[in-house]
Amino acid sequence: MMDYRLFDNVRRQASPVEVELVEAFAQGKISRRAFVARGSMIGLGAPLIGAILAACGSDKKTTTPATSGTTAPGGTTAPGGTTAPGGTTAPSSGSIKQGGTLRIVAQTPAGPLDPVAMADLGTYCPVTTCFEYLVDALGGDVKPMLAETWKPNADGSVWTFNLRKGVKWHDGTPFTSADVVATMDRLAGSNLKASIAAGSTKAIDDFTVEITLLSPDGQFPQQVGAYNPQSVITPKDFVLGTTLDKRMTGTGAFKMTKYDAATGATFEANPDWWGGKPYLDKLEYSFSEDLATLVSGLQGGAADAITQFSVIGGDALFNDSNIVVQSIRGAAHREIWMNCREGDFTDKRVRQAVALGIDRQALLDTLLKGKADIANDHPIAPIYPFFDATQPQRVRDVDKAKQLLSDAGKAGLAATMYFPNLQEIPQLAQILQSQLKDIGMNVTLSQEAVVDGEEWCKVYDSKVEPAGCDGGKDFGIVDYGLRGVPDVYLVKAYATGEWNSAHYISEPFRAAVKAYQSSLDLDGQKAAIKDIQKIANEDVPYAIPYFYNILFATAKNVTGIVATGLGHFYCGKAGFTA
Amino acid sequence: MGRYVLRRLASAVVTLWVLATIVFLMVNVIPGNVGRSVLGPFALKEDVARYNHQIGTDRPLISQYFTSIRRVFTLDFGDSYKSQSAVTKIIFPALFRSGKLALLAFIITIPISIAAGIFAARRQDKVTDRVVVNAGLATSSIPDFVTAAVLMSFFCVHWKLGHVFADPPSGTSVVGQLPYLLTPALALVVAYFGYIARMSRAGVINGLQADYARTATMKGLSKGAVMRKHILRNALAPTITVISVQIGYLFGGIVGVEKVFNYHGLGSTMLSAVTSHDIPVLQGAVLLVGIIYMVSTLLADVFIAFLNPRVRLETSR
Repeated sequence: MMDYRLFDNVRRQASPVEVELVEAFAQGKISRRAFVARGSMIGLGAPLIGAILAACGSDKKTTTPATSGTTAPGGTTAPGGTTAPGGTTAPSSGSIKQGGTLRIVAQTPAGPLDPVAMADLGTYCPVTTCFEYLVDALGGDVKPMLAETWKPNADGSVWTFNLRKGVKWHDGTPFTSADVVATMDRLAGSNLKASIAAGSTKAIDDFTVEITLLSPDGQFPQQVGAYNPQSVITPKDFVLGTTLDKRMTGTGAFKMTKYDAATGATFEANPDWWGGKPYLDKLEYSFSEDLATLVSGLQGGAADAITQFSVIGGDALFNDSNIVVQSIRGAAHREIWMNCREGDFTDKRVRQAVALGIDRQALLDTLLKGKADIANDHPIAPIYPFFDATQPQRVRDVDKAKQLLSDAGKAGLAATMYFPNLQEIPQLAQILQSQLKDIGMNVTLSQEAVVDGEEWCKVYDSKVEPAGCDGGKDFGIVDYGLRGVPDVYLVKAYATGEWNSAHYISEPFRAAVKAYQSSLDLDGQKAAIKDIQKIANEDVPYAIPYFYNILFATAKNVTGIVATGLGHFYCGKAGFTA
Repeated sequence: MGRYVLRRLASAVVTLWVLATIVFLMVNVIPGNVGRSVLGPFALKEDVARYNHQIGTDRPLISQYFTSIRRVFTLDFGDSYKSQSAVTKIIFPALFRSGKLALLAFIITIPISIAAGIFAARRQDKVTDRVVVNAGLATSSIPDFVTAAVLMSFFCVHWKLGHVFADPPSGTSVVGQLPYLLTPALALVVAYFGYIARMSRAGVINGLQADYARTATMKGLSKGAVMRKHILRNALAPTITVISVQIGYLFGGIVGVEKVFNYHGLGSTMLSAVTSHDIPVLQGAVLLVGIIYMVSTLLADVFIAFLNPRVRLETSR
């Protein structure tokens, strides 16, 4: 039952953008979950969200997110099993012991620990153990991290972040807005160049910064959270190119004490962490590129946790009663790219035929043991609040696929599919080869020497639209990791050229992406996303068969780790059960 | 003897130069643009060119070759493309790790396999001899990484008698490191036991049948004295040669065992350098293994000369 007096009271405290969202929720246009997610994104504080939920008579059993205060990563716990989209190991029965060393096996960093230039999961892991983000975007909701609160202006082009006070760098220097300004200026030349320019970030006072965007973005907090990994905040005097092992600093729960690029890293607890003293005394990371090593390490007791593994090769862990497997449901997926500009796939009927030739359920059952969601040839996963579930699912239709190939004059098409040796992808390629044979395609397989190498995207300086990813092969598979919002997929793979291995150009699609990004309200996003799903599904520059769950595993007595599908492994609230 | 060692050292320098030349040619036939492979597909052409200029891969090959040779003789291999730290900081710790594992494996293998070879030779064609010969054949025909995987599954994962990872935590004492290294060392013992035992058996059998052994026995020397003073000095020469060659292999060729036990020795370092196109690390590691081969064979020759006066006489001519 609606408490109108309380509701009006709440409405008077809110800004116009917030009022729009609050009214949409009150009128039942959006779900409670979508309201909380969107509310946290635009900076509605926890007290305000709680008050609105109470005024609207919502179920009080469900907890509200912490959009202010001192909740640290790992402060929220999720039930065991599948979590979305940031996984947290559930506490076992009993309390957490103070002390101990957590031994983790993680992927070997592929490059130097450079927070600005890092580009692989193995590097994100040690770097984000020390460095933190403005916001905690690990779960579906955006929560405070180094910023306690944030607000957009009326059109989402200027965002104001109020920073947490009392935070110290590991060397004891206070964290202030000067650090954020310097970090944003560094990122303006690299990772955030599409969003901000150098000088776009201004310090209003020691603990308030104002960021003016190049164009309105209703999802901007996601750009300064974990799913844009390079956006970690570094000290103001951090010189571009400096690596964490050369300057061991950060604001996080653990300080780096030793690093060896080949063997591993050690970290000790930061007693002055803003989230409180960690339970653990120490973290010890061992690096390995070999899945069998990870699995036997955990089973043999040499490790307490492994950061990420695939069903194929890691299935022994599912049946081990001493091990807890966590499954993060999300938007990580594989894209089967088809060159829309030149070659055999320029006719969309050929691309549709490929999509129709795929038996998605068989892929899920065979490769992922069901730990995935079926996808519909667009990168919008069901976990996103604006996902359009009314769109008809494409199902396998061999006759129709054959007909489309024949109509396009490509019956019996022979093509070479390029793919990396990464997790289940080689097996996916083999099954696709077999499935596409049924529609008359003769697919030859070719494994790439390097993951995401030249076959996928050769150069970045093409002068031909879409500028960017060019010179790669016409047909292949590429991996896309989990993101809190689909912007990276939509912009980089579809709308612009950076990762556009399909060389896809569609003005209606670009317009829909622009509409989605500039929407501050969920209704606007839903409408834009509906178009995006429809156009991508119809044009099929990329066939997308599934969204797979990210898996990580721990020993039974380990609890409180917060993981993402992008290599983050937050242990500030982790420990061993008593 | 001194002249012999000097001559061998001079020939080692020539071998090192040949090896460095071969490595240089090998790494330069690996296709791909170094700057592009390090900076990734999204780096601008100008940045790639700048990077190549910075590391010198855009210079003429002959100039790069002389730099490469200079690096070999000064043991300064530059910086890793992957981690950007000095190559020596990567390969020397890896060498030290490989050395620890090789040393432990040899400390166990050499006495056991030589003793088994002598034991079998003295009982030639009897059941015990057959057991040693056939067991040696069987174990040396199994690849070391297979033995490692089996030992890992049973000893480490199932029975939890050994450590799954061979790298001990930092700060572990020398004695404390032994349990970590024991299981991978055992995998190597299994692989090398048969080979060394058969070599020493064959040498001892030849010695037992030689005229000088018969003469020594007829002079009234005890069996033990004949074995110690006459037979083993001759019989062990081929065994020592085999061991010296295996030392080089143990440093660079046991990638499989290192992988199974997540041990970061020189073999794993080289494999990782190949897959990530980290040419300076690859170059440094390959040359280091080459140097180890040369040093170990030189030491073996010196040791053989020390054991056998005939060799000393021949080398001093």
